[in-house]
Amino acid sequence: MDTTPEPMVRVQHVSHNFGAHWALRNVTFSLGKGGFLFLCGPSGAGKTTLLRLLHGALPLGRGAAEVAGFQLKGLSGARVPLLRRQVSVVFQDFRILPGRSVADNVALPLEVRAVPRATVRKRVNAVLRSLGLDDKALCPCSWLSGGEQQRVAIARAIVVNPQLLLADEPTGNLDRALALHLMEIFKQFNTFGTTIILATHNRDVMAAVPGARHLELTDGRVTAASWRDADLEVAPAEPEDGPARPKPGGRR
Amino acid sequence: MIARMARLLLRGVADLGRNPLAQALTLCAVTLTAFLAGLFLLLLVNLNQALLSAGGDFVFQVYWAPGTPEDALRDQWARLDALPGFQAKTTYTPAQALDELGLALGGEAKAIGGLTGGALPPTAVVSLRAPEADPAVFVQQTLSALQGLPGVADIHYSALQVDLARSWQRFARTVLWPLIGLLGFTAALVVGNTVRLSLAGRRDEVDILRLVGAGRWYIQLPLLVGGAVQGLAGGALALGLLALAHLALADLAATPPLNMTFAFLPLGHCLALAGGMALAGALASLVALRE
Repeated sequence: MDTTPEPMVRVQHVSHNFGAHWALRNVTFSLGKGGFLFLCGPSGAGKTTLLRLLHGALPLGRGAAEVAGFQLKGLSGARVPLLRRQVSVVFQDFRILPGRSVADNVALPLEVRAVPRATVRKRVNAVLRSLGLDDKALCPCSWLSGGEQQRVAIARAIVVNPQLLLADEPTGNLDRALALHLMEIFKQFNTFGTTIILATHNRDVMAAVPGARHLELTDGRVTAASWRDADLEVAPAEPEDGPARPKPGGRR
Repeated sequence: MIARMARLLLRGVADLGRNPLAQALTLCAVTLTAFLAGLFLLLLVNLNQALLSAGGDFVFQVYWAPGTPEDALRDQWARLDALPGFQAKTTYTPAQALDELGLALGGEAKAIGGLTGGALPPTAVVSLRAPEADPAVFVQQTLSALQGLPGVADIHYSALQVDLARSWQRFARTVLWPLIGLLGFTAALVVGNTVRLSLAGRRDEVDILRLVGAGRWYIQLPLLVGGAVQGLAGGALALGLLALAHLALADLAATPPLNMTFAFLPLGHCLALAGGMALAGALASLVALRE
């Protein structure tokens, strides 16, 4: 599935701690453009921390990482929005604005990019249609079921044709049938060229994308991977010179 | 670019309607804080005005040497009208002075029966109002002007009054106006904190905007405008309430024994009150976003 050698994500020896707790330890891997990667592992393995680092929600302290052409090490606050215009994120808890309509929520990233209104309308309608939400466009999101709200979050993520889509347990709150349906949607967008990294510990979900890569994290370390290349280190390693000092204001 | 900016500004105003109850409560808090600050300012301004005007009224008794020709006297008395801060004057020729003295003595008037008009000096009692500058300087300048008049032998005025006026001015300068500044700062803090708390309810929205790649100004500008509008609206409503309070207080002050003129806040103070509230609201929005 990873057909192009040019990496969309390159992570090298990345470690991250919250106080005395190490959430990531010496993680190294890369993923080419158009790739599909499952981050798997138990709760607390570091999947969410890795995803947060990749979209600039946490500052990168130790190691190096490049995402969609952005070097995350020392990435200034002013450049974080630029990174996020290339990288869309879907969360387990949806993170949509419940008081606003479905169409308003999906249009949000386009408005932020100053896309003309006519284009916004056209693209929002197209995405909602593709996700079966076109009849709910004007409904406030608070009226929708969990599955529908998750589809709104996905619609918001893909409406801008991101280079990279990060999804953190996007099927965690959904039943099996709905989860598999969403995986079909992810697969479809992956075939259109969007690189996807999806964190999950659901084996059914992983089985739904047979050609995808798998990277297993345990206690912050890469403990298994479904492929081998020069940019991948599976051997767990401790950071060499003790815990890195956490930076103030860890959120962005 | 301009259209985008205008859209963001309008969004800041439109967003105020998203949570009407919370916004109304915030507006009430801002209005009442501004009203209390304004009321205190209104009372102080009027008190200051009353004390300064009472302390700034001076009466000079000017005595000319006996025998000064009456033509020269009348000419000089006419020139008294041109003194700075001139309010009123009463003049007495020696004969008039004697008549006045006789009237004042009443039953004892026979005691001065043998006196002639020439025994008393020609006199002028001049009422002057000092401008708001240092009253001592005003008194000195007036004294010099009066002493420069030909034939003036003696001048009396109340030195205690000068000290009182001076003391009030010093008190106002060193205590009162800093106190008003402190009050304004406190009001701004209360208003700022209220606006900041009202923005805490929109944290999710801000997080989501950040998540989808919104830049700093895209997020900040509408919130800043919203905070400023809330502050300005609160300040304007407070001025309305102050106008009502002023009507009641002015009636009260006009009745005896006060007989005071109770003025409304000067335009500059009104603008400072409304502008200060708007500024506090806008700054609070910025602080809330940085937290």
